Amino acid sequence: MEDFLFDLIDLVQSIADGLLFGTTYAMIGIGFTLIFGVMDKLNMSYAAAAIAGAYASVAAFALVPLPAPVVFFVAAVAGGVFGYVIYLLCFRFIPLASPLATLMATVGMLLLIDEIVVHETDGMPQPYPALFDDVMIEFGPFGLRGDLMFVFLVSVVAMGLLLYLIYRTRLGIATRAVSQQPVAAQLCGIGLERTNAMTFVITGVLGGVAGAMIGAAVGVLSPLLTLPFTVKGLIVTVIGGLGSIPGAIVAGLLVGAFENAFQFLRGVTERDMYVMLLLFVFLFLRPGGIFSRPAGRD
Amino acid sequence: MDFYLGLAQIIGVHTILGLSAYVVMLTGQLSLAQAGFFAIGAYVSGMLTVLAGFHILPAMLVGGLLAGVMACIVGFPALRVKGLMLVIATLAFGEFVRLFFFNFDYQISKGGIAVGPLGGEGFRQIRFFPENGWTSFDVMLFVWGVVIAVMAALWWMDRSRAGAVLRAVGEDELAAQSAGINLTVVKVAAMTAGGFIAGLGGGIYAHYTTHIEHLNFGVILATFAIAYPILGGLSNVFGTLLAVIFIQGVLVEGLRFMGDWRNLLFGALIVLAMNVRPRGLLDERSMALLKGLFTGRDHART
Amino acid sequence: MLELKSLSKHFGGVRAVDGLGLEVREGEIFGLIGPNGSGKSTTVNLICGVFPVTAGEIRFEGRDITHAQPHVCLAAGIARTFQNIRLFGHLSVWQNLWVAQNALADRKSAGFVKRWFSGSARARDETGALLEFAGLAAKADDLAGNLSFGEQRRLELARALAAKPKMLLLDEPAAGMNMEEVGQLRERLGALREDGKTILLVEHVMELVMGVTDRIAVLNFGQKIAEGTPDEIQNDPLVREAYLGTSGQGDA
Repeated sequence: MEDFLFDLIDLVQSIADGLLFGTTYAMIGIGFTLIFGVMDKLNMSYAAAAIAGAYASVAAFALVPLPAPVVFFVAAVAGGVFGYVIYLLCFRFIPLASPLATLMATVGMLLLIDEIVVHETDGMPQPYPALFDDVMIEFGPFGLRGDLMFVFLVSVVAMGLLLYLIYRTRLGIATRAVSQQPVAAQLCGIGLERTNAMTFVITGVLGGVAGAMIGAAVGVLSPLLTLPFTVKGLIVTVIGGLGSIPGAIVAGLLVGAFENAFQFLRGVTERDMYVMLLLFVFLFLRPGGIFSRPAGRD
Repeated sequence: MDFYLGLAQIIGVHTILGLSAYVVMLTGQLSLAQAGFFAIGAYVSGMLTVLAGFHILPAMLVGGLLAGVMACIVGFPALRVKGLMLVIATLAFGEFVRLFFFNFDYQISKGGIAVGPLGGEGFRQIRFFPENGWTSFDVMLFVWGVVIAVMAALWWMDRSRAGAVLRAVGEDELAAQSAGINLTVVKVAAMTAGGFIAGLGGGIYAHYTTHIEHLNFGVILATFAIAYPILGGLSNVFGTLLAVIFIQGVLVEGLRFMGDWRNLLFGALIVLAMNVRPRGLLDERSMALLKGLFTGRDHART
Repeated sequence: MLELKSLSKHFGGVRAVDGLGLEVREGEIFGLIGPNGSGKSTTVNLICGVFPVTAGEIRFEGRDITHAQPHVCLAAGIARTFQNIRLFGHLSVWQNLWVAQNALADRKSAGFVKRWFSGSARARDETGALLEFAGLAAKADDLAGNLSFGEQRRLELARALAAKPKMLLLDEPAAGMNMEEVGQLRERLGALREDGKTILLVEHVMELVMGVTDRIAVLNFGQKIAEGTPDEIQNDPLVREAYLGTSGQGDA
């Protein structure tokens, strides 16, 4: 009984840590979902670019020693730049009628970004600065890691700013207009290309923040992070419903918690298998995602 | 000489892998699970020859069929949703298969040695070819025998009504449905066929490398699988073969002197190729031009 | 033959089709007209199972096809064309027909292998007559995407016929055609009637509708405001109001 109780406390602790870390999945998921919403296309290189943003900030840090918040800021800016570059190379000049080509180009971009990172770092993991990693907030038997709390708070603020941008500013309204009725939006004088490019920059900045927070939470950056974050970011997008921002947030937290719970129960090598199974459960039961959008839009 | 035989084997196996993605792609779907089906074929047929003493042909067949059945099962829920969801679902399924074999132990003792898959260590000593005295040349002939059989079958399928139907679904799902085509049946059938072909390829791969592990079947391999038909174009099976020869023969082997810059080039080339030739190297138009060269008629007129 | 009973389709708050009742009799050409946005195309899409029906019932030859998917509707015997042409542009002209040469006619007699994997020789014989009918025999090997606009319309009609349907739904087949082409289309529709096909014709081009149909229904705001022979419709004050926005007092 005693043992069981201890296990339960540990499980709850794992889930709490997972929820905090899940905000990074939520941010990656939002990036995928926003680009999907606006362009009806998947940008497979998104998570890679996010982590590359964090790498760029490490490179800047190597040149000039900077305080951690500045490093995070550099990551966000670099993420925005990468977002624009990806738009130019993989979307701007490929005809809309060739969706396979765009998808394949972003997969090529994913490999390219990964290889550049491996080439520049010789595949060695790079230490990443964290804030408040020596703080531990304790509630009875539970404790919340300070660095994870920081990651959580930064992510929440970043997502809050994004939501404000999307729902309260002219740019965001233009973005949503394009995602709902591209032709009508153009007739209203909204530049399709500019809006698309801006979407990539904004999601790129969010990705840069996500990359920095991933680095801060894990403590190192490694090329091995790219793929799991790509796959889990996409899973978050599907579970949340393609195109749904609130869905991506909820799904990100869900995946984070679920993954940590199974890491505790089944070990780290089996953990990700259960995340994939979670996706298939959703595909069977709720193919439209947590908040299924009402049908009837053509 | 052995280098060229080895290269010919790689090109053969990757052609089969690429063709498995080609079938699915004809219906306008993109499957990133082909590496997973390839892994199922590799592990299953390897276990059958090593642990159960099967001949390689029935072992490959069983591996292929099992991969086909898995593809069918994955296809049903995944195809109910829209095209891009399938990309994500198949990506996740491929990773699931890889992680499954990462955690999969099934070893028995044979002549005092433990054989069979052992989790992260992989599955060693799949020695059907050396045990039965096949030379590298025999293996190469065997690989290409299977390649030619698969290509011939797909060529024939392409020229039958089934080929036209798959392409029709790939072009316009609503129009195809309105022409009486049951989308689910066609797409799941294409997935199943793709899974079967990938499973066959995996079976060969396991036996000529003699050692497989989960890392062989990652997203990179899945990317290669779809890159071949996309680069080669979907106008016929030879585009895929050409793309495999180009990527494996020219890029991977020919650029070995460039060291790790080679991998950089691979990603950059995909991006470039998609910008320049969004419908593949051998698209319908260039095929028509080629045809015109041989028949003296200009099919490419617009 | 085709019966719609208080058929409704709502998109959010918009009632695109609202309690529509129709009956198309066997062997007739039935016209469906109405101003833009009156629900004509939606009706076609509801009959063919493209959109789910909000309320009401669709029966074809007594059989309930309200919730049938498009391919099931075709198997039941209803083929259609699209308002904005939807061909398989990268397939050749005759292959477009081959795809649609479904099994409908020979599902019972021909086996699985024959239906799906038989070579092109037999199929080409069968498509020959249809290509003649559509005036495309000389272009059988061209890519459908390379055809002119009028040729594409004809090919789409031929594709609908390739499945040997009992009934055709034609969604604005004359849109964008010149007078000469409209005349040819009129002859083709006449020939199809001789052949015993039932046709539901959605159309804006009045010369065609008035000249070829047996009966006409007029839609406005998703509801049927009139039904009758072409003569009756032309003299109906409600119809004039819907089209011209007047009470029919002018000499329009």
